[in-house]
Amino acid sequence: MTLAILLVIAALLSLLVILGVAVSRSLHVSADASLAGQIQLLDLEAFRNLADPAEDAYLRSRLPASEFRMVRRARLRALAVYVQTAGQNAAVLARMGQRALAAAEVPTAEAAVQLVNQALLLRRNAVLALVRIYIAMAWPNAELGAAPILDGYGQLSGAAMLLGRLQNPAAPVRIAVW
Amino acid sequence: MLQAHSFLWHYLWLAPQCLELGLTLVLWWRGTWRRFPVFFSYLVFAAIEQIILYVLDISPKVTWQTWWRAFWAGTIVEAMLKFGVVAELLHYLLRPWPALASVGRHFISVMGVLLVLVAAVAAAFTAPDNTHWLISGSHTLMQTIYITEAGLILSVFLLAAYFHIPWERVRFGIALGLGVAWCEHLAAWALLATGALTLRRELLDFLNLATYHVAVLIWLYYLLAPLKEMPKSAVSLPENSLAVWNRELERLIQQ
Repeated sequence: MTLAILLVIAALLSLLVILGVAVSRSLHVSADASLAGQIQLLDLEAFRNLADPAEDAYLRSRLPASEFRMVRRARLRALAVYVQTAGQNAAVLARMGQRALAAAEVPTAEAAVQLVNQALLLRRNAVLALVRIYIAMAWPNAELGAAPILDGYGQLSGAAMLLGRLQNPAAPVRIAVW
Repeated sequence: MLQAHSFLWHYLWLAPQCLELGLTLVLWWRGTWRRFPVFFSYLVFAAIEQIILYVLDISPKVTWQTWWRAFWAGTIVEAMLKFGVVAELLHYLLRPWPALASVGRHFISVMGVLLVLVAAVAAAFTAPDNTHWLISGSHTLMQTIYITEAGLILSVFLLAAYFHIPWERVRFGIALGLGVAWCEHLAAWALLATGALTLRRELLDFLNLATYHVAVLIWLYYLLAPLKEMPKSAVSLPENSLAVWNRELERLIQQ
């Protein structure tokens, strides 16, 4: 009987999630008007500093081991916030690109496909980078590579610029501060 | 009203199958079945299977053992087709986005393995609710199948929602219908397999039949209703976002 109750609860929760996705999908059209305002600025230089192995090596050489682990964990937490924000920006841009996919003009649609693909790539990289960051928090002495997410964000910025120029040639678009 | 062989019972068993057959005929006539051949095969098989089971059920010459054997055979083939439908949905969901194809397939594969393990453990802990293995075994089999199928379709929905993967309208409708039906079937078969609600089992039969009817109506809507044209103005990027980015860039340059 306990098993049945657990399965019924799981089934109901699953049904709610699926219906929730269906409802949110239908509401996207009205909510998309405020999409651009949801993009958050990211300081890539600060991100690069936090992700720089040389900075970690320098801190390791200067600080006692216990203090280094504390500082390293604080830096990793900050890095995680950057990565999460980059992932959220990617999600917003993916939705903007999806809207533009319906554009009649071939160059705009092609740019939108490129934008969505790169946004999805960044979102994937953000998930993988977060996993690595959380593992590094558990073992602060481990090496951490954040290059893929950095490269992905740079490419995404280029794709967003291309899409923006195609849709509105007079206005420049930027999603990152270099 | 909520009794076996009542008018509502006959209607709920037969009407979705007739609608499914009508839907398959329209899809065949339009040629759109080629876009989702596995789902099309599932529709045809499920409709014919259920009509055969219905005829066997009302025929006085057919023994209950024969009916349950037919039920077993149909369930196993239908389950394989349903797993094929999930694979087809996933394939077309990820195909336009190579950045996610590998991660998406790995995620669903891992979820599939985990769900099979959970379903096996649940089956091992399910006490038989009937003295004859044909009946209790079929209940446990259905519970096992729906744990896996409901979990898989939920995983596909979560994957698409988290990564904001755009759904094609028709495939979203197929997935939505399957998701609604399989989640409800999981709850109902879990109650049946564990012997809960023993005295009012027909209520669960009605619930299963009614939910499947709803799923078929969802498929009818998404597969047959024409897609609304999106206005061109909806695809342009908002002007205010460009101004925000420019302002932020200028602020950075001046720092």
